[in-house]
Amino acid sequence: MDIFLQLLVNGLIAGSIYALVASGFSLIYSTNKFIYFAHGGAIAFSAYVLWFLFSKLGLSFGLAVVGAILFASFLGYLVNAFIFKPLRNQKTSSVILLIASVALLILFESLILILFGADVKTIGFLEVSKGLSLFGFIITPLQIFILATSLVLLILLFVFMKKTRLGKAMRAVADNKDVAEIVGISSENIYSWSFVIGSAIAGIAGVLVGMEQNLDPMMGSSLMVKGLAAAIVGGVGSVPGAILGAFLLGLVENFGIWYLPSGYKDAIAFVLLFIFLLFRPQGILGIRKRADI
Amino acid sequence: MMWAYFIHLAILIGIYLILALSLQLALGYAGLVNLGHIAFFAIGAYTSALLTLHGVPFLVAFLCAGLLAMLFGFLLSIPTNKLKGDYLALATLSFTFLVYAVTLNWNSLTRGALGLAGIPKPVIFGLHISSNLSFLILVAIVALITYFIIKRVVSSPFGKVLEATRDNELAIRILGKNAFKIKSLAMAMSAFFAGIAGSLYAHYITYIDPSSFTLTQLIPILCIVIIGGLASLRGTIVATIMLTLLPEPLRFIGFPSSVVGPMRQIIYAVILLIILLYKPKGFFGEVEID
Repeated sequence: MDIFLQLLVNGLIAGSIYALVASGFSLIYSTNKFIYFAHGGAIAFSAYVLWFLFSKLGLSFGLAVVGAILFASFLGYLVNAFIFKPLRNQKTSSVILLIASVALLILFESLILILFGADVKTIGFLEVSKGLSLFGFIITPLQIFILATSLVLLILLFVFMKKTRLGKAMRAVADNKDVAEIVGISSENIYSWSFVIGSAIAGIAGVLVGMEQNLDPMMGSSLMVKGLAAAIVGGVGSVPGAILGAFLLGLVENFGIWYLPSGYKDAIAFVLLFIFLLFRPQGILGIRKRADI
Repeated sequence: MMWAYFIHLAILIGIYLILALSLQLALGYAGLVNLGHIAFFAIGAYTSALLTLHGVPFLVAFLCAGLLAMLFGFLLSIPTNKLKGDYLALATLSFTFLVYAVTLNWNSLTRGALGLAGIPKPVIFGLHISSNLSFLILVAIVALITYFIIKRVVSSPFGKVLEATRDNELAIRILGKNAFKIKSLAMAMSAFFAGIAGSLYAHYITYIDPSSFTLTQLIPILCIVIIGGLASLRGTIVATIMLTLLPEPLRFIGFPSSVVGPMRQIIYAVILLIILLYKPKGFFGEVEID
């Protein structure tokens, strides 16, 4: 029973990080309609920027966090303005956009390697070691912080999408770009905004991941696969679906270690992704569109 | 010294050429957006390395590398046959990650992150191919055979059907052709050549580990195929030579070796982005991906 509770908690914590990765990615996908693979790279990049500002320059932690998030959104803005906007103007297919974003991911990872080096880095804010024992499972203050932050953020994101003008405009473009343009929404603006906001969420994910684990230049790819698997499982393009998928993935991964050697933890995401791509490509909450699959 | 360096480059060009030509067959001619090509390369490399390390003759291991990769290509094509565009790209991409995870974690077979060292140089009918020059001849022969077979395939009636499937799958099915079978065949054939390229790579470098076969390694190959132009074998050859040589001057400018690797990747990634932005059909290409 204790192990069950512990795995449940671990699954929820992993899920909350995946949920941040997947929701930012899903937001970009829902309006732009292509798989922005470099999202994971943006997460890794902002974690490194946090390390640089906090551990290297010695800024206060709050300031460094703001810096990292601003950096991520600016990166999202630039990427859209200089790469994806021109590509869209050529009416490029979504596969080309996907390939471009894979190239971008490799570009980010290589830049991280050159700028920060290959050695492992740690952000020593909030010690990981001391855990609190509650109701038979152990949780560290850092993990409580991560869980709480991501829950608050996901609720904020939900309110943003439902209540604000910009959020509604985003959903309108996601639903039907042409009709949205007829009522006066500039789809170009919305694409740009979704990159900025989606990347800001990536920045926050980067901050949380950076606090919890060591930084390595290739962490972007593996986070991306988790986020992507979560998004596809939940229903790609649906932010609530992405969050659902993320928690599901976190739980399946952690309970999976009961049966599998822990080295295969990462492989579980691919297998889940693969199964859903084959049997239910629209995901749990997605709506099947004949033309896409 | 200089001479040895040129031979080394020529061998790399040969191996990349086989890999790029095989991806061209799937991506350019059959229109299958296969981002899992590196996985077949990995399967070939590991098969051949493991077999020869256990005393199997090179030629047998070499063929097995191709055949096993081919089998996986065929198996991957069965479930992914219905998928198109993005979804196919994702499924094949996750296949790359899956193969990576298996090579990293199946310690008893692949020795995990330690990799396989001391892979023997090829011996063909008692002929020891130990010098780089003789290895170059071997690679050149295999690359030529690959080129002629793929050339033959794409200009055969089957090749025309393949291109027609790429352009309009529905029409092909209305004409009574089995589009699934056609795509599976293309995928299997493409995987076969990727597998033998992997075998050559393993026996040339004599050391492989999972990090030799990640997504990062896909970018140069993808770059070659797209820059050369889809459905153009001539373009692929020109692009392979150009792109393999392009980052080489970095070595002589005097960057530390820890920078040269990421620099190469940056060059390939930037070139790929530029070509997608300004010349999406590549230099000799006839079709666009969609």
